[in-house]
Amino acid sequence: MRKTLWISFSLKNTYRVNGILYSLKQIPLLKRLLPQALYRVRGLKVFANVLSGIWEVLSAFLGKFIYFITMVIGIGVLYDRVAPGAVFLHILLFLTAIGAFLNTHLFNPTRDKYYAIVLMRMDARAYTLINYGYAIIKTIVGFLPFCIGFGLQKNVPLGVCLLLPFFVAGAKLTVSAVSLWRYEKGNRAYNENQLGKWQWLVVGALLAAAYAPPAFGITVPSFVIVPVMLLFVLTGAAAIPKILNFAHYRAVQQQLLAQMLNQMDQAGNLAQQQTRKTISTDVRITSRKKGFAYLNDLFIKRHQKILWKASVRIAAVCLFLLAGLLLVFYLEPEIRTKINGLLLTSLPYFVFIMYALNRGTGFTRALFINCDHSLLTYSFYKQPQMVLQLFAIRLREIIKINLLPAAVIGGGLAVLLYASGGTDNALHYLVLIVSILCMSIFFSVHYLTIYYLLQPYNAGTEMKSGTYQIVLSATYIVCFCMMNLQMPTLLFGILCIAFCVLYCCVACVLIYRFAPKTFRLRS
Amino acid sequence: MQFVIEHLSKHFEKREVLRDINFTFTEGKIYGLLGRNGAGKTTLFNCLNRDIKTDGGQFFLEDNDARREVKAENIGYVLSTPTVPEFLTGREFLKFFLEINASSVQNLKTIDEYFDFMHIDPQDRDKLLKDYSHGMKNKMQMLVNIIANPEILLLDEPLTSLDVVVAEEMKQLLRSLKGGRITIFSTHIMDLALDLCDEIVLLHRGELEAVDRTNLGDQSFKDRILAALREEEDA
Repeated sequence: MRKTLWISFSLKNTYRVNGILYSLKQIPLLKRLLPQALYRVRGLKVFANVLSGIWEVLSAFLGKFIYFITMVIGIGVLYDRVAPGAVFLHILLFLTAIGAFLNTHLFNPTRDKYYAIVLMRMDARAYTLINYGYAIIKTIVGFLPFCIGFGLQKNVPLGVCLLLPFFVAGAKLTVSAVSLWRYEKGNRAYNENQLGKWQWLVVGALLAAAYAPPAFGITVPSFVIVPVMLLFVLTGAAAIPKILNFAHYRAVQQQLLAQMLNQMDQAGNLAQQQTRKTISTDVRITSRKKGFAYLNDLFIKRHQKILWKASVRIAAVCLFLLAGLLLVFYLEPEIRTKINGLLLTSLPYFVFIMYALNRGTGFTRALFINCDHSLLTYSFYKQPQMVLQLFAIRLREIIKINLLPAAVIGGGLAVLLYASGGTDNALHYLVLIVSILCMSIFFSVHYLTIYYLLQPYNAGTEMKSGTYQIVLSATYIVCFCMMNLQMPTLLFGILCIAFCVLYCCVACVLIYRFAPKTFRLRS
Repeated sequence: MQFVIEHLSKHFEKREVLRDINFTFTEGKIYGLLGRNGAGKTTLFNCLNRDIKTDGGQFFLEDNDARREVKAENIGYVLSTPTVPEFLTGREFLKFFLEINASSVQNLKTIDEYFDFMHIDPQDRDKLLKDYSHGMKNKMQMLVNIIANPEILLLDEPLTSLDVVVAEEMKQLLRSLKGGRITIFSTHIMDLALDLCDEIVLLHRGELEAVDRTNLGDQSFKDRILAALREEEDA
């Protein structure tokens, strides 16, 4: 038994360690520093092993801590009409019911199980039971300190606090035993990752039961909860022999793991399939243009769904919001000065909004998967003048697509400013409109530029460039941080316009110098 | 015309894939490039097509001792998995290709004549390429490379996954096209190489080496190839 436990641990650990090393290797600078025989180097292995060990401990406690802080205590403090202890137990009761069948461990097909049982042909029963036992013990140990700590703080009696972890484990054991029994009766093996419609409905109902009644001052009284908890501890104990004596673990695991593998294969192709699906099959689409303009025109027309239609929809929603705000101005005149103040200070906020609305990443992904992925294998397509010609056409087009919502937002902000009482400096209106348009152009240029300069995909349409992902994340972080920036609209707007103009110039120079070399399939 | 490779080398991290490639290909012949899995056939093609940077060496075309650089338009590269722009129909792809290459295409024909030449059915010509079968995509890719009429045609395992009829059509086509150009055909199916190719070239231990066929029957020729490729293991 110790041996099985040890093997399954080291197996899980090995691939976790290799996973850590692999992701280290994806970081551009580290990539050069790390040796090729990375997976053999002892020091690195030890380091990754330490990380992996820390993760094992953290996952036992940190997960539970976050669970208590957010789901139980965090939401619990919102209810001021009932005693905190009663809310604490009430929420835990229902969440445990959900967890009992959403998080069984026994019916969760994972990679390590696949490696051990299918590839390495370990004894399925021994492997499953030992890992299950470990998971249940981990649950009890992980829950215990927080049940006591948080429970006592909420004035829950110590005895009940001590009972809680065993109640959680008991509920899981009970559900597992019932599922095994159902399997013996001829049902399909239960897969906690593939819930049906009814199961989701039950989850929804239990969630509602956990959080809605306390808002009205109603909780399940403790003279009901405590016996229920005791009952599940007993049924859990009674379930143990069933789980230990179940004979068909191999078959159950085979079935679950086959489903998982199926899912993993699909996930790999999913992005590609999704993008392929965006191609319109409308036979009426044609174009009168020639050469690259013809190619681009057909591309834009066959990708209406993710390009123009999406853009028009966003513009329409923005118009609708504008109309709504104007109505609010009319109904609640006091709000005008507030909005007026906001408009004069919170332009930085709109950097993030423009970031979120930009169609750039979807555009470049579709460009690659549905177009460049194949055409880049033809030599005519890679000739420098061709690359640049097409870049110019594409840039113009993506800017146009993004400008529509930008124009609505920019114009809308100017209208709002006027309607909320206006401003002394008429320049404000101009700066609002122009800076929003500039932001939109900036994002369009930005995405297409990094796509051409870093061309991150390989022939199998996998993302291969760490640098590209870092640039994307950095873009996100910068835009996100902008939300916290408070700066007069006039100043920020002018700075913003200057930056965008400068960036576009630099980007174009870089493209003309480097894109003919960088715009290649990665190998 | 000759295609000359001199001292071409390429390594990935510490692994030398192409060590010191020296070879001269002559026009009018189909060369069968044989090598074991992972020997570097695709890497060699990618280097020649300038998809990846080489570490050193050069390659050029030579007519009557006059050297000229190999430009992108001199090379046609057909990949083992056919790649065609999914969002275009067969006809649109051809139209686009012909417009872009209008200045360089010789004996321009109508689009339908090209389709007829390639045995692509009329009802398939206006379907989106994403709905084409593997074999039809392969035909499209081959067609475009034939129209471009490159002096060097690189074919990476092109017949491996085609049905027997299409594979036979392609073989005939390659034979009919070999005049005036250098065709290099990579495969790891020996019988296919012997059937189609005029010369057999081995890629092993990072080097190219021609196998002399004079005075050898098919079986002893095969044995010699196998012996040469096996050496790698013993080395």
